[in-house]
Amino acid sequence: MPTTPSLQATALDHLRVIRTLMERSNIYRAVSAPAALIGGLLSLGVAIYGISQNILSKRFSNHVFFYAWLGVLVITSIINLFLLMRESGSKGQPTITDGLRMALRAIVPPMLTGGVLGGSMIWFGYDIALGAIVWVLCYGMALQATVSFAPRSIILLARAFLITGQVLAIIFFVQIHQGLSKWKEDEALITLGLTFGLYHIVYAIAIFCTKRVNSDLSAENDAKPE
Amino acid sequence: MIDFSQLDRVIHEKGRLSIMTLLAARSPWSFQDLKSELDMSDGNLISHLRTLAKEGYVREDKTTALDSERPRTTYEITSAGRSAFKGYIKVLEAIVKHSKPQ
Repeated sequence: MPTTPSLQATALDHLRVIRTLMERSNIYRAVSAPAALIGGLLSLGVAIYGISQNILSKRFSNHVFFYAWLGVLVITSIINLFLLMRESGSKGQPTITDGLRMALRAIVPPMLTGGVLGGSMIWFGYDIALGAIVWVLCYGMALQATVSFAPRSIILLARAFLITGQVLAIIFFVQIHQGLSKWKEDEALITLGLTFGLYHIVYAIAIFCTKRVNSDLSAENDAKPE
Repeated sequence: MIDFSQLDRVIHEKGRLSIMTLLAARSPWSFQDLKSELDMSDGNLISHLRTLAKEGYVREDKTTALDSERPRTTYEITSAGRSAFKGYIKVLEAIVKHSKPQ
């Protein structure tokens, strides 16, 4: 049997199908919905509390600001990691899955960069608002780094963070360029409350709603091959 | 020379190839997950899964979901299925290599 052009084309086409499906089947959600909800509520809480303290003229020092947001990050990350590991356990997979390793490899470098750069700006009192914008941008880049294996919701979340961070960065530098009053703590708290707070809450609600719809469909369809 | 008779006709059908690929990438898959990933109709998917199970390439497992007590059907690739799938890919690669100019 000779290798006809059509057989070669079919072979190439089938190899393409295999590759595409292999990549798609390794989708991994790096941010679990319950952790996003908890992190979102904590962030919103810290932002609202900080703004209320500023209104009462009890300003957050840059160190308190740094510790408050570091606390939110640590608590949310631990909950997220715990939930992802529990989910793999319930599926009979090992605690540290390939997906988790892949996600950590993608997420950690931009997160560390943002942590060090934005954290230094805040800790040393260089610029709290710019530090907050750096955090937003680097978190967006961390999520964006998971794009090849992330579900669509994470990609949308990454875009929301990146677009917001970029717009805020432009506004921030235009303000400085035009000699207008510089952004301070309130603006930094609004930035972080809006992004880490509100965006995560919206993301979590969207995932919960999607899961409910899928679960209903699953009940109908799983019984079909019986 | 390539032995084209080795090209597994059961796997060569595109729908079944897609199912085998997903099951080889990770197992098990629920019926609903397979259906939504492959965008196939229920009848089509059931028919392909039955053909693969008949050939001994796929194993069906019926369980009850712990949280909802709903019946749940999952599918996984068997060791015979995995080696047939690997063999199929090798033949495909040989065809592509054979067609490249020397």
